[in-house]
Amino acid sequence: MSGSASALARRGAFASFVGLCFTYLLLPSVIIVPMSFSSQSYLSFPPSGLSLRWYQGLAADPAWQAAAMNSFLIGLPSALIAVTLGTLAALATERGGLRWATTAVAVIVAPMMLPHVILAIGLYPVMLELGMLRGYLGAIVGHAVIGLPLVFVSVSAVLKNYTPALELAAMTCGADRLRSFLHVTLPMIRMGVLGGGILAFAASFDELMLSLFLTGTGTRTLPRLIWEQLNDFLTPTIAAVATLIFSFSLLLLGALAVFGRIGRSMPAPLALATAETAAHG
Amino acid sequence: MRRGEASARRPWTLQSGNALLLFLPGLFLAVFFLWPLLRVVVRSVTDPQLGFENYVRVFGTGAYVRVIRTTVETAGLVTLLTLLLAYPVAYAIARAHGLRLKLLMIFVLVPLWTSVVIRSYGWMIVFQRQGVLNDILLSLGLTDTRLLLLPGAVAVYVGMVHIMLPFMILPLVASMRAIDRSLLLAADVLGAPPHRRFLEVFLPLSLPGVSAGVALVFMTSLGFFVTPALLGGPRLLMAAVLIEEAANVRLDWPIASALSTTLLLITTALYLVYLRLTRGSAPLLGR
Repeated sequence: MSGSASALARRGAFASFVGLCFTYLLLPSVIIVPMSFSSQSYLSFPPSGLSLRWYQGLAADPAWQAAAMNSFLIGLPSALIAVTLGTLAALATERGGLRWATTAVAVIVAPMMLPHVILAIGLYPVMLELGMLRGYLGAIVGHAVIGLPLVFVSVSAVLKNYTPALELAAMTCGADRLRSFLHVTLPMIRMGVLGGGILAFAASFDELMLSLFLTGTGTRTLPRLIWEQLNDFLTPTIAAVATLIFSFSLLLLGALAVFGRIGRSMPAPLALATAETAAHG
Repeated sequence: MRRGEASARRPWTLQSGNALLLFLPGLFLAVFFLWPLLRVVVRSVTDPQLGFENYVRVFGTGAYVRVIRTTVETAGLVTLLTLLLAYPVAYAIARAHGLRLKLLMIFVLVPLWTSVVIRSYGWMIVFQRQGVLNDILLSLGLTDTRLLLLPGAVAVYVGMVHIMLPFMILPLVASMRAIDRSLLLAADVLGAPPHRRFLEVFLPLSLPGVSAGVALVFMTSLGFFVTPALLGGPRLLMAAVLIEEAANVRLDWPIASALSTTLLLITTALYLVYLRLTRGSAPLLGR
């Protein structure tokens, strides 16, 4: 039976090709973890001895702690702004019956698609004039511009699944606009809002380009500090930071999996929006 | 009814007034997104004086033209390589179900949640002179001296394709899962061998996902910064790296603005094509 034998060989070749692709996908994330436990100060893989010295070094270094703190001080408020404005925009375009809704959507989603360097070049003089450069506020606002489309896409995807008749029913029964929103719309879109918020926070947490232009030495974020260190010297310290951030990201992904149910039931836009957060290299 | 009086001319509908919700996000995006972009475009033709002299400088300087060409060529090559790897992977995911599907989806999403800076650092560990790749090549006897791969074009391609793969895989999976399986069954029943069933039925039906993925990946690749800056260095200089350096190091904002405007025009054109391909209504779904 040479036919089935060659079919088997073909299937085997296909499976090993796909397997190699998945190895490729996971390699750079996975390779960092053992590096962070290395006992040497140069990068050799696999590490010849194990130690926690790089983590101890991190705990003792105020610069890394300050940068981690700044990442949260900028990430959380910017995610909050993105959630508020992104949800409003999604409600308006999905439920507003706008004639130019397509154009509005195109503009709202655009910050997600545009090279961040262009936005950074443009925001720098604007923030300078507003006196928001190198402070927290400038970075918060800048990151919110990146986060807004992520919330918008996430909430819109959920809104599309529900008919406006539900809200109409509530109002016919005498609920005013606010009560209808609080008791009917909000419970429906809760997961989209929460998922979008996590995406927006993750986008801010990973944003380098805007931080390079908008933050100063007192407000620099983790990606910026990693960037500055990478240009000077390669030590396992960065691997230790990377491992910590990686674990934290997996926690966020886990939270998203619980709320957004990854897999078949996960809406494709949410999956792609997840992708977009990490895209702008 | 108070509502009826408030809008006496038009009958009240559920949609009335919802458009007003767009005011705050619209204002925010106008001030912090559209206005900054406009400033970049205006500055490129007014600084230091009115005219196109910045563009004459950009397009008249061999080094700048080379960077723009490298950027477009690299984005094109990365898009092609990404498509070639992503299609079989998406095919495998689209056919999976249950736990297997969940696991494969998580494998695609995990790298996305590793920061781009950190992933480039991972590739530095792999590609450096004392790195894993050189170890493997040496032990296989493929080379007898350690190769200098960093900085280098190959490292940039590997790093960029890695970042772009999920963007191609996800729209492809979306469009492949939407294919009506009874059409494949029909091809089977009518006696088509597997390769014809694939080439004449499955492949054409998956093309919407391919075009959406290709547009998305090409557009995003044009703006890459971290990967070419860390892995390519002077060996493979891309536009975003050059713009950042012009603004932050050389403080040459007129040139940075002109280069940004050029990049903005190319990206906007691609974005419009992309919106066309995805039909606006579902801007992120590959169908």
